[in-house]
Amino acid sequence: MIRTEEMLLNVGPQHPSTHGVFRLILKIDGEIIKEATPVIGYLHRGTEKIAEDLQYTQIIPYTDRMDYLSAMTNNYVLCHAVETMIELEVPERAEYLRVLAMELGRIASHLVWYGTYLLDIGATSPFLYAFRDREHIINLLNELSGGRLTFNYMRIGGVKWDAPEGWIEKVKNFVPYMREQIEGYHELVTGNEIFKERAKGIGTYTKEDAIAHSLSGANLRCTGVNYDIRKVEPYSIYDRFDFQVVTREEGDAWARYECRMQEMEESLKIVEQAVEQFPESGPVLGKVPRIIRPPKGEAYVRIESPRGEIGCYIASDGKKEPYRLKFRRPSFYNLQILPKLLKGENMANLVAILGGVDIVLGEVDG
Amino acid sequence: MSNEEKDLEDLQKKKDLEAQSDQPSSQTSELKSDASTEPDARNEANQNPPTDTNKEMQDQSTNDSPTSKTEQEGATEPSHTSTTKSSKKPNEEPTSASSKDETNTEKTTAKKSDAQIDAQSDEKPERPKRPPRKRKKKDEEPKEEAPSPKQPQLESFVQVIEEHLGKNVLAENYINRLSKHIPTIVAKPEHYFQLAKFLKEHEELAFTYLSDIHGVDYETHMEVYVHLYSLTKNHSIALKVKVDRDNPTIDSLTPIWEGANWPESETYDLLGIQFTGHPDLKRILLGEDWKGHPLRKDYEPYDVEV
Amino acid sequence: MIGLAKGLKHTLKNMGKEKMSYSYPDEAIPLPDRFRGIQKFYPEKCIVCNQCANICPTDCITLTGKKNPDPERKGRIIETFDINFEICILCDFCTEVCPTNAIVMTNNFELAEYSRDELYKDLQWLDENDTNIRKEN
Repeated sequence: MIRTEEMLLNVGPQHPSTHGVFRLILKIDGEIIKEATPVIGYLHRGTEKIAEDLQYTQIIPYTDRMDYLSAMTNNYVLCHAVETMIELEVPERAEYLRVLAMELGRIASHLVWYGTYLLDIGATSPFLYAFRDREHIINLLNELSGGRLTFNYMRIGGVKWDAPEGWIEKVKNFVPYMREQIEGYHELVTGNEIFKERAKGIGTYTKEDAIAHSLSGANLRCTGVNYDIRKVEPYSIYDRFDFQVVTREEGDAWARYECRMQEMEESLKIVEQAVEQFPESGPVLGKVPRIIRPPKGEAYVRIESPRGEIGCYIASDGKKEPYRLKFRRPSFYNLQILPKLLKGENMANLVAILGGVDIVLGEVDG
Repeated sequence: MSNEEKDLEDLQKKKDLEAQSDQPSSQTSELKSDASTEPDARNEANQNPPTDTNKEMQDQSTNDSPTSKTEQEGATEPSHTSTTKSSKKPNEEPTSASSKDETNTEKTTAKKSDAQIDAQSDEKPERPKRPPRKRKKKDEEPKEEAPSPKQPQLESFVQVIEEHLGKNVLAENYINRLSKHIPTIVAKPEHYFQLAKFLKEHEELAFTYLSDIHGVDYETHMEVYVHLYSLTKNHSIALKVKVDRDNPTIDSLTPIWEGANWPESETYDLLGIQFTGHPDLKRILLGEDWKGHPLRKDYEPYDVEV
Repeated sequence: MIGLAKGLKHTLKNMGKEKMSYSYPDEAIPLPDRFRGIQKFYPEKCIVCNQCANICPTDCITLTGKKNPDPERKGRIIETFDINFEICILCDFCTEVCPTNAIVMTNNFELAEYSRDELYKDLQWLDENDTNIRKEN
């Protein structure tokens, strides 16, 4: 008789497929996972404690580094929270620049997800194609803000710089190129039978589970819940654009894949409309007081980042530093469902499920 | 480097500058225009005295309770509107020469009013413009604001809660004007869990989605802030509860919303609030053997390098 | 099988397309003018207002000034100016607040050294760092 027993396997902090320093302690019996315990905290940098000593504008570079793949939305959530508290009006041109930056950042972030997800599953060419196209976007954002990954572009009351000459033209020419590329991605991957086998029916959860676990972003929309903060509580000028909220019904990894691919196309639609409606001239920074002191009180705002719902809570007591600053980070909440999803799965599906949740460790730990 | 040190250093430098420069103390025009037209891009960290002194005096006079909060907001809002909308000039960037002049005069006014704060006296013969600003503030305190658009929503929530759970469940309720006018209710600690369960299960309220849960350390007490959202009815509510600081214990909301599991662990880890009924309360962000709770205001780190 | 064949066709089509790789150490990466690189410092323009040291989010700038030795001119001139590049995050706030544009950014970013002490750059090094200065500040 063969005697089997359970084994503790440590998918350690340094691992190529865990998207960062993330540790999973697995109790496996052969190939089946019996229990999974995630251990996080390897990248905790104490942003919230540091922010209690800094003025609001000085916190903006720190927000870049939380979710480093979509730094523009992080910048925006802090600026939006402070602007809501002091009731500041942002000029039109600045709002359009912000929307353009955020949507281009969204496409870039989804391209990284696409490349690394398929790399984990085993395909190597989508990774290179995704990063080649991401290079175009990063160059565009580099021309706009001066950095490739940490932009530090938004300021409270507007943006730092106006778009350089010819930038809008470049964005306009980028949109049809990207559309063609996304069609190419579908051709390459979506019809692929091996990928279908590895993604359909994997990591399924129901709508009630998703809502109870406070998932957000594509993880929630893949179960059929129509919840996108850009439509539900519109912020900035998103109510001027015409785009769809992408939902699917099944709730498995295939549905998440399709949701995110479609979201890239919807972002391209927004970019196109924004470029058309772009105002000719205007200021890019509103009338901001020299030192920003929000009135005593607290505020909590939330926006839609590529990973889900990011929120920023500021408690201020009238000084120029926040009394308490807290970020509601989507990857932190999305990761809670992982132990439940992994129970009873094969080891081979671990990577497919983890990649589909789309976490960024800088955001999980914060 | 703390802010006081920066202030002192700047004070020293301003004294030097003032000793050398012979700028006329054209304070009156400076006081009016200083915080309005200068774009933030140029002088972000300058010591800004006039609003500084006003806010400090206001901070000393008001306490932390929410009832005075609206008064506070009412009093500070006009000052904000005056500083942000006073002039209609387009926001162009000044040349470096003119901004340098302005920074020099800024520093002279800064130095003088810092000295004024130090001396703790309000009326001096050479500063006739100071009193009218304070008088304006006192006049505006009793002014009322327009009723909030979400006030009926708050009242309907409170009515439903009081019908089913009784009148002594809520400590207070108000509209938080700073945060997009969200209805905020403060529960009493012993009824917190019951209220949260009711908020989720009642079909008119239906707050099925937990958006955020975290704690805040005010020095006299701690607070837990919960933000809930209803996917079917599209309304949000903020629920707060005050927790005792010496023995911070409160019920856990994990049995109601599974998504509160890790955020409550994080709150325990960083602030020390114990949640009773939590399936697995542990230190998730810092290691298991970390001593102390960093986000508390009286936390002393062992190694202070920078 | 058809899905795999279509994918293969796409890969083969892409083999002939333009490559996006930069052969980096051999040739310089084309960077836009606004790229945030290492700072260049003009000591003669500095008025020792301390704005840059105040706004720095990581407190990496330390500077001291002394009274202008020229008895007619007022103001102060800079004596020492250090930037600690171990913690500078090249965020660009210091150039944004400087009223006289005494500190500007260049497009250089290569700072690798063999020992950590050499990352603490002083006034002279920052003054000599004058290639690829960016035009927009």
